[in-house]
Amino acid sequence: MKVLGLDTSTLMTTCAIMEDDLLLGEFSLNLDMSHSEALVPMIKSLMDNLKLRMEELDLIAVSTGPGSFTGLRIGVTTAKSFAHVLNKPIVGVSSLEVLANNIFVDGIIVPMMDARRDRVFTAIYRRKLNHLEEVLKPNAIEITELISYLKEDASEATLVGDGSVVYREELTSSLNGSIRFSPGELNLSRGSSVAKLGLIKYLKDGSDDFYTLAPDYLRDSQAERNLKLKR
Amino acid sequence: MIIRINGIDETEKFGKSIGALLEAGDVICLNGDLGAGKTTISKAIGVGLEVEDYITSPTFTIINEYKGRLPLYHFDVYRLESGEELFDLGVDDYFYGKGVCLVEWAENIQESLPKERLEIWIFRTEEDKKRILEIKAFGNRYIKLLEELKK
Repeated sequence: MKVLGLDTSTLMTTCAIMEDDLLLGEFSLNLDMSHSEALVPMIKSLMDNLKLRMEELDLIAVSTGPGSFTGLRIGVTTAKSFAHVLNKPIVGVSSLEVLANNIFVDGIIVPMMDARRDRVFTAIYRRKLNHLEEVLKPNAIEITELISYLKEDASEATLVGDGSVVYREELTSSLNGSIRFSPGELNLSRGSSVAKLGLIKYLKDGSDDFYTLAPDYLRDSQAERNLKLKR
Repeated sequence: MIIRINGIDETEKFGKSIGALLEAGDVICLNGDLGAGKTTISKAIGVGLEVEDYITSPTFTIINEYKGRLPLYHFDVYRLESGEELFDLGVDDYFYGKGVCLVEWAENIQESLPKERLEIWIFRTEEDKKRILEIKAFGNRYIKLLEELKK
């Protein structure tokens, strides 16, 4: 199956086309506020270079969040429009799982995206060969809360994503020795990861509904935020 | 820092000198009553940022974007009632982006502002054209900015 995967949840705009387990092509740009201008021309350039027509795609996969508000809206809207117009199946995947997919080591994998104001979007996965098992579901939490969570779990953790760069000092000083940081080139979202995870999800659960698929911003509920303000 | 300003020329001079010092990612908050001169300062900051377009108050659009030496995102949040509405504008992509954010009526959205920022409070005086500005820096970047401004 030919799968188009796209992710605009971070500063990165990235898209890729995979045929089953084979990566046919990938195009990524790490450029602020570029999603709306860059995404569709990038997909077109990728398709043209691969001499593929949009009708030949079998599945559209997109990161639904968490991440940049504007970025997610652009990525999800683009994917939904393609699915609608081309009448193709669509699946949404977690942008955190997309980051975790970059890492191929034993132990736990902690994708982190900077959610601002000392908070991160994070989740915890454990790799079982080609499969990522969810240990902690995606959440928006304070960096200190994540650190105390990781302190309790002594097993070696690999951190990935821009959150691990932003909070590197705090993480190192509190968790020295029990964590590893990913190298820069693995810290970024990749369209190929979206395509891969999307295909796995599609084969397992079938298509999402292009009409109801929506970004998952992972915001606190209003009640939680009011409570925090009172503290 | 407290500054006394005598008339529009000095307001413009002050705004321009701030604009010239701004860097990517800076957030400047403007507070003051209606007619205190928030938009006058905004326009002058825009000139300092080499924005060529005519800057108007984004009262109805809430955010206007301009191209200058750096991108300028000019907010007027007077009509916003909650942080919720601000979230629906994707405000963090602006506050933590690569441009300069200028926020009029910032006191309305205190809880949604970045911790590090420069606040300018404009107070009227008994004399029509004179204003008192109180400038507060939050965070190292803005303490530095304030020191450069004093020169």
